[in-house]
Amino acid sequence: MSKPKLSQLNPMDFTKMTPVRQAKIDAAPDTPVRELSSYVPNQIAAALHPGTQYLKVSKVVERTPDTKSYYLVPDEEKGTKSLAWFSAGQYLSVALEIGQMKLTRPYSLASSPKEALDGHYMLTVKRVEGGIASQFILDNWKEGTAVTASEPLGTFTYEPLRDAKTVIAVAGGSGITPFRSLAKAIADGDEDASMVLLYGSRTVKDAIFDEEFKALEAACPRFKYINVLSDEEKDGCEKGFITADLIKKYAPDGDYSVFLCGPQAMYRFVDKEIEKLGIRKKFVRHELFGEYFNPASEADYPANVADRFNITVISGDAKTTVIGTPDESILRTLEKNGIAAPAHCRSGECGWCHSYLASGNVYVPKSVDGRRAADLQYGYIHPCCSFPISDLVIEVPPMKM
Amino acid sequence: MGKKYDVIVVGAGNAGLAAAANTAKAGLSTLLLEKHNLPGGCASSFRRGRFEFEPSLHELCSVGTKERPNTVYKVFDSLGAKIDWRYEHNIFRVICKGKKGYDVTLKAGIDDFCSSVDAAVPGCKENVRAFLMLKKKIDKAIDYIYAKKGHPNPLTMILKHSDFMRVAGHSVEQVMTALGIPKAAQDLINTYWGYLGVPTDELNAMHFLNMVHDYVVDGAAMPHLRSHELSLSLTDVIRKNGGEIRYNSEVTKFLYNKDGSAAGVEVNGEKIYAREIISNVIPNNVFNRSDMKYLPKENVKLANAREFGISVATVYLGLDCTAEELGMKDYTVFVVGDPDPRVQYNKRSEDGLYIVNCLNNVVPDSSPDGTCTLFFTIPVFGNDVPKDLRPEDYKKYKNAIAKKYIEDYEKLSGMSIMPHIEEISVATPVTFARYLGTPEGTIYGYKLSGWDNLMARTAAEKTDYAIPGLNFCGGHYIRGDGYSCAYIMGEMIGKRVASRLKGGA
Repeated sequence: MSKPKLSQLNPMDFTKMTPVRQAKIDAAPDTPVRELSSYVPNQIAAALHPGTQYLKVSKVVERTPDTKSYYLVPDEEKGTKSLAWFSAGQYLSVALEIGQMKLTRPYSLASSPKEALDGHYMLTVKRVEGGIASQFILDNWKEGTAVTASEPLGTFTYEPLRDAKTVIAVAGGSGITPFRSLAKAIADGDEDASMVLLYGSRTVKDAIFDEEFKALEAACPRFKYINVLSDEEKDGCEKGFITADLIKKYAPDGDYSVFLCGPQAMYRFVDKEIEKLGIRKKFVRHELFGEYFNPASEADYPANVADRFNITVISGDAKTTVIGTPDESILRTLEKNGIAAPAHCRSGECGWCHSYLASGNVYVPKSVDGRRAADLQYGYIHPCCSFPISDLVIEVPPMKM
Repeated sequence: MGKKYDVIVVGAGNAGLAAAANTAKAGLSTLLLEKHNLPGGCASSFRRGRFEFEPSLHELCSVGTKERPNTVYKVFDSLGAKIDWRYEHNIFRVICKGKKGYDVTLKAGIDDFCSSVDAAVPGCKENVRAFLMLKKKIDKAIDYIYAKKGHPNPLTMILKHSDFMRVAGHSVEQVMTALGIPKAAQDLINTYWGYLGVPTDELNAMHFLNMVHDYVVDGAAMPHLRSHELSLSLTDVIRKNGGEIRYNSEVTKFLYNKDGSAAGVEVNGEKIYAREIISNVIPNNVFNRSDMKYLPKENVKLANAREFGISVATVYLGLDCTAEELGMKDYTVFVVGDPDPRVQYNKRSEDGLYIVNCLNNVVPDSSPDGTCTLFFTIPVFGNDVPKDLRPEDYKKYKNAIAKKYIEDYEKLSGMSIMPHIEEISVATPVTFARYLGTPEGTIYGYKLSGWDNLMARTAAEKTDYAIPGLNFCGGHYIRGDGYSCAYIMGEMIGKRVASRLKGGA
């Protein structure tokens, strides 16, 4: 091997760097630098993730006595020209002002992704007992109502490299909405999967979109629709609840994915049934759990917790102290007191409400603790599923929607 | 007039965090503004199911240990930030496909590194050592240049630091060739171009040598709890020293005084003023949010002359089997389609270079028992994203990338990856454009092109950043890309501003 001889490189080349660079700069124009919106990746990012979407209600359809569908179109005057594309199964976080309260609620997109290109989204809202948001929407939204919503969010989507070719969709009540979107996306060719929909209702009258699903089943060989009725015997429908045996009856040979969306009571029942099937964790996907209530029922809940606390909230230059109780999430306490706080999934998962706990202690139920590991070390919380167990000081970012 | 701070730092990326931590620690009233709801920029983490993924960090360079701390260790330690560092002592494994194929693992430690290159390309051990040893000469020269505040005596440079000038004035491959390192050995070592985004026939030799030397000597470090740990440790320092941090607070306008100096910013509809501004935001975005009349023409021309640095496509996999069950023994595996970095670069969208990382091999508990994660990285530019890609086809585009690389690695390694995917997430330059808001989704600021290399940037620092009171730091700044450079630059700028505001030099 030859002896190293660095000396063959001319050290004076070093002195040429500055003039070469200067010549490059001299040759460039002094016109304004290109706008971000002129770059392809930024254009696609902006189209898929506009942050906030300004919408208005274009049509209201009554589905059942306590359920309505709202068609939403872009509010061009406010700057939304088109609707963001989404993956079937995603949701919109909708901003609401109810009296002095400012809050958000996540609603699954029930329309298909293709319909977003045609210019509308559809949300379907069912009246929840004691639910102020659903009640407010059902009583107030009408044609022309302005709605401020997030971009499409959430990970309850079909992922072809992860999920089995067949999805057994288990729905209860208004948990049917993301599956309407997925069924249509399959029929449209936007998702490459087959789907068996097991839809649990009391009676067939309670099954939202029943006629539509029947029509879709007839038109799309990859979609099968089964009503599972707890309180009614009916031809062509299953009687009872969604059990392991029922899932097995409709499952294909080999692997299948189970997707669940419904009320918390349904998860508690069906999760136990799924355990009997012995399928791998990766093949079981849940939609957002929904708001967590009743932390004191958890086995690791601390003893002797007082019944009210001072919660001091710092947001920018503003500092406010409000009263919280141990059974109410910090987020709900803020909202009740008219403090706008960021929130999307309200289930502990998305992290949008990520806030700094400057002092005090909170209880976070393990099952809904979606924080990052370092958050625990440095005192960050998700107020949507954190419950005060002492006086608190928290820093909350602006809502940004 | 609204509230006035000593310092406003715009952007809580690595450099912004390090800068704000240093100004706050120096006792200056500091406001850190971040558009996202988390600190860190790329230095973060994200959750999917039972997994928490590292979004960007492969290996932190220049960390060192408590006993033998290097620059990055000191950046954190001097601020009182405690990081649980974990170390990787193999440098990397590289698998080259095809007829000219090879499979080589390079080891850390100067002797072991040189021996492992020599084992693959016999007879080059001393030449490789000579390359690494140049680092000492470079450090001496840089100390001298710093001591002279960037204005060294040209004669002293030629008489005492001519080897520095040779290295700093040429590309990696020119220097390696001059040292008699055979091309095959160069190609092995130069696999690392992938971390910098500029192939080694163009990349400045001094820049590359600094990185390689530190990896060889110190190994690579990772924080225990993903990069989010690094970022939160710095936010903690800022808060403990009286600094304020505001999230969801995107600066929409930079404000100037009549004399053209920086005055403040507009954020969430509010005007906030400061004696000095430190921007972790790339100059292009600052200029777009500034009144043109305050911008020096030379600085605008520079921004227009530059190309953006590399971005990446990444695939994050949470698998329901352990690394052992999978057969993944390495932390870092580079896969290349051809030995030559220029060919890898040119074919980056087809069969150029990709990196597979398995964090469990450095941080075993980085995923739950019985699981592991894999992290694929493909260096690509934002303008490699097809111009006609429609938003509605984006999911299919992402999944096609993931499928291609997973299947390629399965074929190459004989591992069965696909059936174990429990969680998957795929990022592309579009994702980085979304979260970082940089032009073309660049993660590295401006390309470290031959003409715009580290040394040329350093020499031009004063004229490149000519707006009084407006300082820059980050991947777009003089030292270019990578976590370590960002932390070091952030610290340097934070200290410089603190010293100026407190009446020092």
